[in-house]
Amino acid sequence: MRRLEIFWALFVASAKMFVRNRAAIFFSLFLPLLIMLIFGVLDFGKAASYQVGLVDQSGTPDGATIVGALTAAPGLEVTTGNAEDELAAIADGGRDLVIVIPSGFRLVLPGSEGFVPIEATVNSNTPQESQTALLIVQSIVGQVLLTAGGGGSTSPLITVTAVGGQSLAYIDFLVPGILGMTIMQLGLFSVAFGFVQLKRTGALRRLFATPTPQGYFLGAQVSSRLLLVLVQIFILLGIGIYFGLQLVGPLIEVVGIGLLGALIFLAIGYAVAGWAKNEDQAAPVANLISLPMLFLSGTFFPREAMPDVLQTVTGFLPLTYLNDALRQVINDGASLSALGTDFIGLVVWALISFVLAVRLFRWE
Amino acid sequence: MTAPAPIIVARDLRKAYGSLQAVDGVSFEVAEGEIFGILGPNGAGKTTTLEMIEGMRPIDSGSATVDGIDVGRDPRGVKARIGIQLQASSFFDELSLTELLVLFGHLYHVKADSAGLLADVELTEKATSQVRTLSGGQKQRFSIAAALVNHPRVLFLDEPTTGLDPQARRHLWGVIRNLQERGHTVVLTTHYMEEAELLCDRVAVMDAGRIIALDSPDGLIGSLVDRGFVKERVERAASLEDVFIDLTGHELRED
Repeated sequence: MRRLEIFWALFVASAKMFVRNRAAIFFSLFLPLLIMLIFGVLDFGKAASYQVGLVDQSGTPDGATIVGALTAAPGLEVTTGNAEDELAAIADGGRDLVIVIPSGFRLVLPGSEGFVPIEATVNSNTPQESQTALLIVQSIVGQVLLTAGGGGSTSPLITVTAVGGQSLAYIDFLVPGILGMTIMQLGLFSVAFGFVQLKRTGALRRLFATPTPQGYFLGAQVSSRLLLVLVQIFILLGIGIYFGLQLVGPLIEVVGIGLLGALIFLAIGYAVAGWAKNEDQAAPVANLISLPMLFLSGTFFPREAMPDVLQTVTGFLPLTYLNDALRQVINDGASLSALGTDFIGLVVWALISFVLAVRLFRWE
Repeated sequence: MTAPAPIIVARDLRKAYGSLQAVDGVSFEVAEGEIFGILGPNGAGKTTTLEMIEGMRPIDSGSATVDGIDVGRDPRGVKARIGIQLQASSFFDELSLTELLVLFGHLYHVKADSAGLLADVELTEKATSQVRTLSGGQKQRFSIAAALVNHPRVLFLDEPTTGLDPQARRHLWGVIRNLQERGHTVVLTTHYMEEAELLCDRVAVMDAGRIIALDSPDGLIGSLVDRGFVKERVERAASLEDVFIDLTGHELRED
């Protein structure tokens, strides 16, 4: 009971210290959000409604059903018209997306008799808006098809014409990467800087002038950082979902993998903090560890774009395992056992970093 | 009348860092209620001696007991009964004074009377401020408040007035005398001879890891004079510091 009280007091103190440290909050929360906005979902105002041109050439009840569903959809600003005008409106920038329901359209699965695909044309000048709008249209058409007794994938139902632009769901790629990056930065920097500072100024020594064993402080600090990682996972996922991220896998798995990743980078942080005598020593080492990984671990862009050799080498980085594992769970709904090498890679890195931390860590 | 049992007993303490014998056989006793000073140049082994008695640093050989508890056997037991002010008084920057005192209370398993402690060191109006906003003298006073959280029998102050201006130093002397009046035993190290002379009941002079003299300030001065010492410059009725205080007043200059 007494022990729990001490632990709790230190835990609360540690969390308060983090939350009140503006630099720490900026780097661990606002910076990832900023990067997410810059890379993926810029322009909140426009995102509120997407300009969709709708052309119904079907002359069938099924076509009218689709028109009704799309017109009623929140977030879509639907204008109906003829194909020529609507496609011209894309060129003017007046439409993010034009949907053409072709003559004789019926709500049947691809491959069935009488199947003709809906044609979508996206505005490559507004890639974020047009692709988000397309995602909305796809999900609505999918729902309509489901209620009509069909099922399965909706993507073959719609043929997309896009000139250049990004992949359909960049946000699905980006959010797990931002999550991985945030977990790395928080684990590494909050410890590498914060702890070294306490060590240098003597605040830690003052703590050890009390009868409370040193381990309590370490335990409380690690726990408070894990809690913050948890909060960040929720915030970033929440914002991601708001902007169209599809969370396929269970949240608990995302949390589990996130915390495992956090443990790895916390341990690396303690290794750096244990070795360094002051912030000037800790900073370059922490940056040397994190910066290359930021760009080599497929945080913002797929590693497939890299040369083969680099792809192989960077495949062994801890952030790569973390990003890939998060993507598998978030995008594909992979279970822990299905993660395979990514999960094993994370566990191996956890062991390596733990041993490093124990070997290099010094209180003074 | 028999002398009260000593509250601190150090016997032949030794500590080496590599080939450097930092503390080389230090023995002394401190009586309850005493203000005991340890004087000496930098590197004399003052801080290391204190740290061994406080349970902050392992003892190579020799022994120390505080309030009857052997430091070597039960360092946590000793830590629970003493208050420590370290040379570099540093705390968690992002916490307020009240929050820090409550936290320290938990670390000592006691309920901290933060308002009372802050009143003792005249920092009541800073209760919700963070440590980094305090001046040097206020920081030193706060670190004494933090050292008093557990109602310690003995208070260890390592160079409590170093870096303070004359006003702040005198103010801190007042705080330390109040502690003595309330029954605390105080052990302090200092570089300031005037401080040792005015504040301490007894003084140990250390050099190169050994105690080379131990007596009351008057006793030490007396024995030097007895050996025929004559000061080169005749002592005047006032010192330059007296002039300084007279000109600038006793008022604390903080913020």
